[in-house]
Amino acid sequence: MIEYIIAAMFAGLLLHGIHRKVIARIQGRPGPPIWQEILHTLKFLGKESWIPKTASQGVYVAVVGISIAIWTAALMLLITQESLLLLFALYVLHKIVEHGIGLASGSPYAKFGAIRSVVSAASELPLLSSVALIYLITGSLMLRDIEAYQAINGPLLIVAFPAAVALYLVILSKIHYGPFSIVEAKEIVSGYWTEHFGVWRGLMNAAFGLKTFVLLYTFVVVFIGPIGLPLTLLAILILMITLSFVCAATPMLSPYDSVTVQTLTTGLIAIYIIYLGVFA
Amino acid sequence: MFDLNIEGAELFALPFGDIVPYFSVYSATLAAFVLIFILIAAFDRPERQLNIIFGGDAFYEKEIKEGDTRFSRFMAIACGFATLGAVLTGDIFNFTLFAVLVGITNIAIVASAGNHHVLNAAFQYGIVAMIATVPLFGAAAIILATTGTLSIWTLAGMGAVPLLAKAMLILGVMGEGIAPLYIGKAEIIRAQGAPFVLMIHFSSLLLFLRVTEIVLVI
Repeated sequence: MIEYIIAAMFAGLLLHGIHRKVIARIQGRPGPPIWQEILHTLKFLGKESWIPKTASQGVYVAVVGISIAIWTAALMLLITQESLLLLFALYVLHKIVEHGIGLASGSPYAKFGAIRSVVSAASELPLLSSVALIYLITGSLMLRDIEAYQAINGPLLIVAFPAAVALYLVILSKIHYGPFSIVEAKEIVSGYWTEHFGVWRGLMNAAFGLKTFVLLYTFVVVFIGPIGLPLTLLAILILMITLSFVCAATPMLSPYDSVTVQTLTTGLIAIYIIYLGVFA
Repeated sequence: MFDLNIEGAELFALPFGDIVPYFSVYSATLAAFVLIFILIAAFDRPERQLNIIFGGDAFYEKEIKEGDTRFSRFMAIACGFATLGAVLTGDIFNFTLFAVLVGITNIAIVASAGNHHVLNAAFQYGIVAMIATVPLFGAAAIILATTGTLSIWTLAGMGAVPLLAKAMLILGVMGEGIAPLYIGKAEIIRAQGAPFVLMIHFSSLLLFLRVTEIVLVI
């Protein structure tokens, strides 16, 4: 299993590098090499590290471990084709990681990142509506059942298109440099992880690489279905590039606009779910 | 119950008449995270805030004495145990009780800062949390009246619970779990955040996750 985790981490970091490269090319810049995020992570892992004097030490360290644990568990869930509801729970727990990272250090910049993380809890709502719609259509939240449903009825991307849009929006809200990336905006330095440096930063980079891979992989598994590893990886790459286009072409929204867009999306999908449940 | 294909395999069940506390992969994972956060709240030292003097390079560190955090720590631990109860219970009425207890402890954590703005936020949250008890207990009453039981185990997969009761249950949890938005307003920047304020956000999200499971299962 460890080889899957490490491979997924490197794949996720490579996707981050590709993301930066695509954004740069769209904006007319050469951009960094695509392996830059892998090099960053390895560099951070070799740096001298300590815990700030003002930090809540347990939380400061624990959130890093929890972050890795959450996304490792999420990857295992995907591989073993367990419950999508549990995957949803792990995603929501990631919000605690963001919040905890921001609160742990005592830095006001990180704390503002944490506050924005709280405010942007609306980003979980589209995922909830997406899960609810999938359950309504397939009658199950087990990934193996969802795959079996798609093998018989075709990709959920077509049948449950609003749910796919919602999950796409969720992934977009977690991608660096995106319109919803208010938790790490430059006006608050690096946002919630401003004070995590050295090994802590390296480990978090690795965890966030894993997160990106898991979220994109989830999208492919849930909405396209079983298409084999090479095509799955290709689909993940295409998905990442589309996200990069959105990020390159869209300015970062203000915190309240970000929440408004996410809440409106959830509302529209909720109306669609009620329509399906009552009339269809 | 766990042939419902919602929350993974059943790991353990403890029948007390029709009330059955149970572990599934889902609830066991949530419970494990709750235990980790209870330990953090019990033993970790709080952060010491740095406040910036805007317009210059100066900053100062707030002094936090151990005695100042005793009440917050106690309430954070109590909040953790209330969350654990909400995650593990197999009874809808018990779930609503634990949800309300989470709300009460959250108010206490917010209010323990002793700052005017923070107390104002705690007061506003308290009103919302109190109002939220109406749909919360109302949902339990409707479920009992219509089905004759409050056992999640018994109700699982029956489809006997009215949609109105499910909606009220969610509405009640939203009211109890809305604390993070109030601490986002006032508490985080005026009082020490980790690990006590973190417990507020954590318990609210866990309530949200558990009610999602309950609504899908019943």
